[in-house]
Amino acid sequence: MHEAKLTPEIMIKAMANEITDGDRVFHGLASPLPILAISVAKLTHAPNLVFLSVAEGLDPDLDRIRLRISSADPRLSLGAIAFLELIDIFDLCQKNELDVVFLGGAQIDKYGNTNLSAIGEYRQPKVRLPGGAATSYIMSMMPKTVIWATRQSKKVFVEKVNFRTGAGYLDGWDSREKAGARPTALKVVTNLAVYRFDDKTRLMEVESIHPGVTAHMIPESTGFDIEIPRHVPTTETPTEEELRIIMKLDPDNIRYSEFR
Amino acid sequence: MSKEEAISLVTDGDLLTVGGVSFHRVPMELIREVIRQGKKKLRLVDREPAIGFDLLIGADAVRSVRFAMLGFELFGFALNFRAAAETGKIEIVEDTCGAVLNGLRAAAAGIPFVPIRGMVGSDLLKIGIQNGNYKVTKDPFTDEDIVAVKAIEPDVALIHVQRADVYGNIQIWGGRFEDVWKAKAAKKVIVSAEEIIDHEAIRHEPYKTTLPYPYVEAVVHLPTGAYPTSCYGLYDADYEHVRDYVQAVRDGRFQEYLQIYVFTKRGDMNARS
Repeated sequence: MHEAKLTPEIMIKAMANEITDGDRVFHGLASPLPILAISVAKLTHAPNLVFLSVAEGLDPDLDRIRLRISSADPRLSLGAIAFLELIDIFDLCQKNELDVVFLGGAQIDKYGNTNLSAIGEYRQPKVRLPGGAATSYIMSMMPKTVIWATRQSKKVFVEKVNFRTGAGYLDGWDSREKAGARPTALKVVTNLAVYRFDDKTRLMEVESIHPGVTAHMIPESTGFDIEIPRHVPTTETPTEEELRIIMKLDPDNIRYSEFR
Repeated sequence: MSKEEAISLVTDGDLLTVGGVSFHRVPMELIREVIRQGKKKLRLVDREPAIGFDLLIGADAVRSVRFAMLGFELFGFALNFRAAAETGKIEIVEDTCGAVLNGLRAAAAGIPFVPIRGMVGSDLLKIGIQNGNYKVTKDPFTDEDIVAVKAIEPDVALIHVQRADVYGNIQIWGGRFEDVWKAKAAKKVIVSAEEIIDHEAIRHEPYKTTLPYPYVEAVVHLPTGAYPTSCYGLYDADYEHVRDYVQAVRDGRFQEYLQIYVFTKRGDMNARS
């Protein structure tokens, strides 16, 4: 059971693994896990990644920054090379020169569409959510989006989102490309597992299950039919070195706040 | 200029934008002055506002709010905003970061719209079309469909900065966010500055001028004017204050908060203690 305590760190490692060396990577507000994932990637397998953020400091000094409650905190730009305005980062995205973005989802459906706008009827919502920030604008342009969710349940993993803030694979198959959005690679990382999407149908499927999570917990926390492969791999556990990086960058344990 | 004089330039019903983002370099003392002067029916627009807009909404100064995200990050919901949205008390105009920025860019350039590539497949595209803020049009050169975002021309932009001279030559340190675009897009720009410096100091290092005087209507000297949000290079965000604010709204003590931090003890005094 003590592995369960490492859930944030396992998620961070899984998110870091989605970054390839040299990628231009962006995170927005309320993003403690993405900040740590980008940092772990840069300090391990992706030293040449370009770190772009809502705090606007380009390539901050990872020896100096410490996680803050707000993801736009000026202290997250310590030692940066330049301040790159968000509008410039979105322009890079429009030019198809941004490689990976991390985005959240209050609801995520079987085709990887996300809702960050409203639960229930949009114009008279049961819950008015804060909004998707950059999600709507950039998700249809990104070559790769990693969606993270810290509390997977049937309320989060839904058959169809109430409102499509972020465009995933829309209605599956080639509907995304037909609608005029750019081709994309989606991944979903939750507190239970890592998910990918079928190459043809674009339906979500399990890629790996976190240590300490049993296979039956997945359908219990998923509001649509999801197949669990017979020999599903276990998500990698962070190394001592990766844990050390995470603890150094987040001595105040801010990463846990999304799990409470 | 005094903050009282400066904020008297704001008119009921104005389209108002503010500088900074989330809990950082937000012109909080100018916002508190807007509330003290009892401005009403303001139409707010910003990319990722937080406590600044939530305060205005709670103080009943707002008719509509256009935003890409209006939340308190890890503190959770912007509770006044959420309550006003769910009861239909204010008009909600949800948008997305890139579209808001390009709308400001259009107004800054004096052109009616900017074409964008984003949003395809998002339901927010439909909402923006319904709201009259976007339209799907044809690229005149290729005849392909493209989304046009209508120019966003605020009546007033409130911006807090580190340094200015009395003529409105502005130096912003750290992240500028879209403050320069907001200033260029708005009809009137009201700036509060931590420090008023000599005009000669501006001329000595003109490359540090982020925004020069032709764009600026009024300058107010307001040390700690961003409090409780941060001001790069000078002070941190007071996250404990933000936590207390959220708790006060949650407990139904928002009017008490207003009395303490807006109407009696000036909010900016706290940063000095």
